[in-house]
Amino acid sequence: MSWNPKYAILMGTSTIITYLSGLLIEKADKISDKKQAVRLKKWWVFLSFFSNLAILFLFKYYNFFGNVFTRIFSYFHVTIHVPSLDLLLPVGISFYTFQALSYTVDVYRKDIKAEKNLGKYALFVSFFPQLVAGPIEKSKDLLYQFDEEHFFDYNKVKNGLLLMLWGLFQKMVVSDRLAKVVDTVYNAPNKYKGFAIVIATILFAFQIYCDFSAYSDIARGAAEVMGFRLSKNFDAPYLSKSTKEFWRRWHITLGAWFKDYLYIPLGGNRCSKPRYYFNTMVVFIVSGLWHGAAANFVIWGTLHGIYRVTGEMLKPVKKSVIKKLKININTFSHKLFQVLITFILVDFAWIFFRANSFTDATTLIKNMFYFNPWIFTDGTIYKLGLSHKEFFIAMLGLFIVMLKDILGRRINFRIAFSKQSIVFRWFVYFSAIVFIMIFGIYGHGYEAKQFIYFQF
Amino acid sequence: MTKKIVQKVVIFIIILISIVSLLNPIFIVKTDHRGKLIEGLYNHTGDAYDVILMGSSHMNGGIDPNVLWHQYGITSFNYATAGQPIDVTYYLLKEVLKKHKNPIVVVDVYYLCLTNKYGEEGYIRYVIDSMKPSINKLNAIMNCTPFMDLPYYLFPILKYHNRWPELTKNDFRYDSAYKYYAKGFEAGTNKYGKDNISDLTATGTAELPPKSLEYLNKFIELSKKEGFKLIFTNMPNDFNSIAGKDGWVKDPAKMLNQVAEIAKANNIPFIDYGSKMDEIGFNFKEDMNNSGHVNIWGANKVTNDLGKFLKENYNLVDHRNDPKYAQWNSDYMRSQIASLSK
Repeated sequence: MSWNPKYAILMGTSTIITYLSGLLIEKADKISDKKQAVRLKKWWVFLSFFSNLAILFLFKYYNFFGNVFTRIFSYFHVTIHVPSLDLLLPVGISFYTFQALSYTVDVYRKDIKAEKNLGKYALFVSFFPQLVAGPIEKSKDLLYQFDEEHFFDYNKVKNGLLLMLWGLFQKMVVSDRLAKVVDTVYNAPNKYKGFAIVIATILFAFQIYCDFSAYSDIARGAAEVMGFRLSKNFDAPYLSKSTKEFWRRWHITLGAWFKDYLYIPLGGNRCSKPRYYFNTMVVFIVSGLWHGAAANFVIWGTLHGIYRVTGEMLKPVKKSVIKKLKININTFSHKLFQVLITFILVDFAWIFFRANSFTDATTLIKNMFYFNPWIFTDGTIYKLGLSHKEFFIAMLGLFIVMLKDILGRRINFRIAFSKQSIVFRWFVYFSAIVFIMIFGIYGHGYEAKQFIYFQF
Repeated sequence: MTKKIVQKVVIFIIILISIVSLLNPIFIVKTDHRGKLIEGLYNHTGDAYDVILMGSSHMNGGIDPNVLWHQYGITSFNYATAGQPIDVTYYLLKEVLKKHKNPIVVVDVYYLCLTNKYGEEGYIRYVIDSMKPSINKLNAIMNCTPFMDLPYYLFPILKYHNRWPELTKNDFRYDSAYKYYAKGFEAGTNKYGKDNISDLTATGTAELPPKSLEYLNKFIELSKKEGFKLIFTNMPNDFNSIAGKDGWVKDPAKMLNQVAEIAKANNIPFIDYGSKMDEIGFNFKEDMNNSGHVNIWGANKVTNDLGKFLKENYNLVDHRNDPKYAQWNSDYMRSQIASLSK
């Protein structure tokens, strides 16, 4: 992704198109001939989607599909030349395009009224805290907040900053530290085997979770400081007991977008079984593509689709096995088993998400099945990018994140925290800031060689 | 209500800055340069120095305060550090002058040859990270480092935080007193073994890089304003090691001729040891540590000559028999040069 002031024009275009679509849809609705009104409204929705997705396609997917077509044709010994475009992916384009499109549909469905004020509408599309990495807000949840009166609210500012601090901890202390092991292994898949790959893959699951969740929390915190409420985007996803539950807890706003604006229009589950499975697969494949224009992401999405469809198909089998073996599904051990299985399935799919290419992913999977437990005892594990001290901090950070996820189901930390004495609260603030300052991964850092003078 | 909130925020920031300020020195890397600057700037303010020596590694290993003491009874301190850019030297000098009033200031001009806007970060940090919070430090940061690095210099923990796994007792309880006896001097003991191949007879002048000229003039203005005596020096070295290289002037010898002219126009002595080598019996092969720096034996020769110059041209009292300076005699006994002659 890249940042270029010129790309503001793209966002401006999306903003104007969707803004006009809202006005036109509302105008069309006033036509007395209902049939014609519906047709016209649909036409405006189509135009809005088509033009927005065309921009997204051009910048994000053109080269990818160009390659795909070239390959398909070359398979049949037909040489075609699709000129590739030297375009950089504009930062945040996938996020704001989806957010803007939600507006068109929301107006179409009469969930909200069309916004007359272009300035206000532009604020909604370009709301800076979540512009780059979400959460993707539906217009019905965010747009009206720009009409509210905003004033300085000490508690909101305090709570917002606290959430941002938590985000910084996840990103700087945990995610970027775990990334070192993941990058070491995933950037040299032929060099590593067995548990080295298993560890890197497990750590990637937490790296991407902490990274993404951190961005969302920082965005939510920044918005809260200004008196805006953004949706929760992650809710302890790795405690899910099925991949279905995982998608209710992972990147919640994207899932909700797809559900509202793709899955349900396709027919959702109120249709025949094959059609339901088809709808599910479409949503997951598109979701994979949304994450990136590469075969890896498509495979990742497809895998999740297969998990879901297989899960649905095997439901009766699962039920009869539980019944026959008289398994008590309410025990901790059963729940833990479900959480672990879900994690393994999700983490397996992450391999495709993180690997630099499909070939790398298959190499990693092949090399993973090698029993080398000695790497835990002979120090090899500390040669994967983190020294033993760094590894300890990474694990400590991970422990804190998971503890927060587990306890967070019962306790609202921010409310509980705000009830504590000021001495305790300030002690926690200062400790957290200092902890992030020392153990965060940021800046150029100190390198001994900068300070060694070779002349003497 | 608003007043209470503002109060709270201010107190919070003050406490946070205080905590960070306490942590900063723990994380800063402990080099000999840091040790000597802390000693010279803040810990031995009772020692009034007749002469202070400023500059880069060339000065650091070029003029030995223990020799000046032993031979001439002159008290001095060498504030030069490796790779010290000339702009950093200027602000360091201002910081030195806060505690040491009206000394003779000797500035080595080697780093006027640097054409880069800023010096190397590591070298800058030897000095700036060793300075206590002050206007001079702030000015040094603002003028000698890229603006984007400002927070990293104001709060060095942001730079050094990744040192946490290597912190030792020495980082928490750093005692810089161990090297005060050397008075900031340290020279190499290698013998270069090669001749000087740069042209010492170059005539004509070459322009100074803009920043160098600006700071050369600042030194001159400061000496007039503060009323201290200023001397410029250039240590023996083979300019071929930098001439035309990336970040350095094309023709250092000609540029130094220009420096000599500026010094002359301002009645400031400029001692170019590059052209005085024969006069002081300096043997390039034997008295250089490498192509750019004199060794301990070379430093002894250069220092003796500078001492003679100082003694002859300035009204300096011989402190050798002053009981207040008894420690200086024992310090000399521990010095590099005394150890070599044992």
